[in-house]
Amino acid sequence: MKNSLKRLRLERDWTQEQLGQALGVSRQAVNALETEKHDPSLDLAYRIAVLFARPVEDIFENPHG
Amino acid sequence: MLSVWKTGTAAHRRYMLRTFAFMIPYMLVCIAMMVTDVFDEVIGKPSGWILAAAVSAPVIGQLWATLSLIRESDEFVRAVTAKQFIVSAGLAMAVATFWGFAETFAAAPHLPGWLVYAAFWGFFGCVAPFIRASN
Repeated sequence: MKNSLKRLRLERDWTQEQLGQALGVSRQAVNALETEKHDPSLDLAYRIAVLFARPVEDIFENPHG
Repeated sequence: MLSVWKTGTAAHRRYMLRTFAFMIPYMLVCIAMMVTDVFDEVIGKPSGWILAAAVSAPVIGQLWATLSLIRESDEFVRAVTAKQFIVSAGLAMAVATFWGFAETFAAAPHLPGWLVYAAFWGFFGCVAPFIRASN
């Protein structure tokens, strides 16, 4: 799923490890999200949205419309 | 192995500790069976069942450790490890089923059933590099 996670992370000068710790997931999970190898659960998508204080739709591109 | 310990998650580190805890006694029993004759007198007797249970217990424990890794990991690691586990188990069952029928119908040489466990991990090692995405 296309997303702007990497851009948002780099804007804050965070490493994947740091973002993973903030979200409660592994660095591998952050890397997989950024490289579109993992579609997040609704729960994780909302945690990401809260962390970056943006709506989910601003971070993840809706693949269905 | 050391790099996994340093860079892996807490779930990965627990998995490694559990794997060593189960595989060290397993290897000791296997080595004892190969280099000594202490188990020879129980083979074919009722106490042989106890020996079979003792040898297979660490293997079952190792499977539990792998399933615990899946349960304790985050959603991405859980999904990828589960996919790798399912594909490997499927391949191991397919090969074991084929060989079982080959023994029945084609006079193929008999292979011990416990080899399916080694086959499972062999397949796991083969498929893991190709299953890196959860979607």
